Amino acid sequence: MERIYVFVSGPLAWIAWTVFVVGSIYRIWHLLKLAKEKEQVLFSYISFKYAIRSIINWAIPWNTNNMRLHPIFVGVAFLFHIGFFLILAFLSAHVILLEEGFGLGWPALPDIVADMLAFAVLGACIFFAARRVVRPEVAFVTDWTDYALLGLVAAPFLTGILAYHQWGDPLVVTLLHILSAELLIASIPFTRLSHMLFAPFTRGYIGSEFGMVRHVKDW
Amino acid sequence: MTRRHHALWLGALLGGMVLALCSAPAWSEDTVLKTEAFGTLRRPVAIFDHDTHNEKAGLDDCAICHHVYQDGKLVKDSSSEDQACSDCHALKRQGRQPGLREAYHGACVGCHKSKGKGPVACGQCHQR
Repeated sequence: MERIYVFVSGPLAWIAWTVFVVGSIYRIWHLLKLAKEKEQVLFSYISFKYAIRSIINWAIPWNTNNMRLHPIFVGVAFLFHIGFFLILAFLSAHVILLEEGFGLGWPALPDIVADMLAFAVLGACIFFAARRVVRPEVAFVTDWTDYALLGLVAAPFLTGILAYHQWGDPLVVTLLHILSAELLIASIPFTRLSHMLFAPFTRGYIGSEFGMVRHVKDW
Repeated sequence: MTRRHHALWLGALLGGMVLALCSAPAWSEDTVLKTEAFGTLRRPVAIFDHDTHNEKAGLDDCAICHHVYQDGKLVKDSSSEDQACSDCHALKRQGRQPGLREAYHGACVGCHKSKGKGPVACGQCHQR
């Protein structure tokens, strides 16, 4: 088991991050190539100023008309995304690994805050799953892959919580935590989690067309 | 058994548990690493039973852990078991010399990883 841990926490981590970086570059390159081949007109309507303006306005919770129509969903969605990245970058165990592995270091969140955020992220995943069952307009466009993706995202947080509280065998739980996180990282470019890469492009384009062509706000 | 008997047994059991918890510390001094230099701890003290560990690992040479470095180089045939790790390793890394926490992690987990034996995940040493 120790040897599996060494492989999973070492070479497999490098493989997962490489798949993520190379896959992300490929997906973005492919998107731009497709746009160039099929819709060159897109490029003449892109405005950096209006793109950034739109992205900023959509990055503020409850700032847009559409968000105010779904206040609870928006609150949970923002909490989920903020919690996800705060834990990824500022959980003390993660910071220690970065510091000792790469000599990088920055302050970490207090454990109690990180713990509450982890439970919040997990709760948000349950909320998103429940929403797909309860809301008919969402259920209509939902299939099993949506639940699988939610499970993929929730798994590192569930196993992370188990590892932190030492519920279950620490080696097995930590191994599952690292494995599930690697699976998540590597699948971002190739699943709908790729919204992480593409959201700035779609938002930026819509913002540009609304701002530069129609001279209206898009929020 | 009567209800009274149940109550007596339960009382004795609870009393015994309280007594056991109060009288014996969870770990005696020889079975955990020295941590005074850290001040307040963020994690439970790492469990380390010196003699049991060395017997299990077949370690006879003290200098494998209790090493001596001079000008960034390992001094052969010299050992430092009369010193605390924190005598040399400050809390923060100093140039190429790892900080105290990093030195502990490096010595313990580093060796366990290279041997493929012994605790490697956080919760295996820092037991709650």
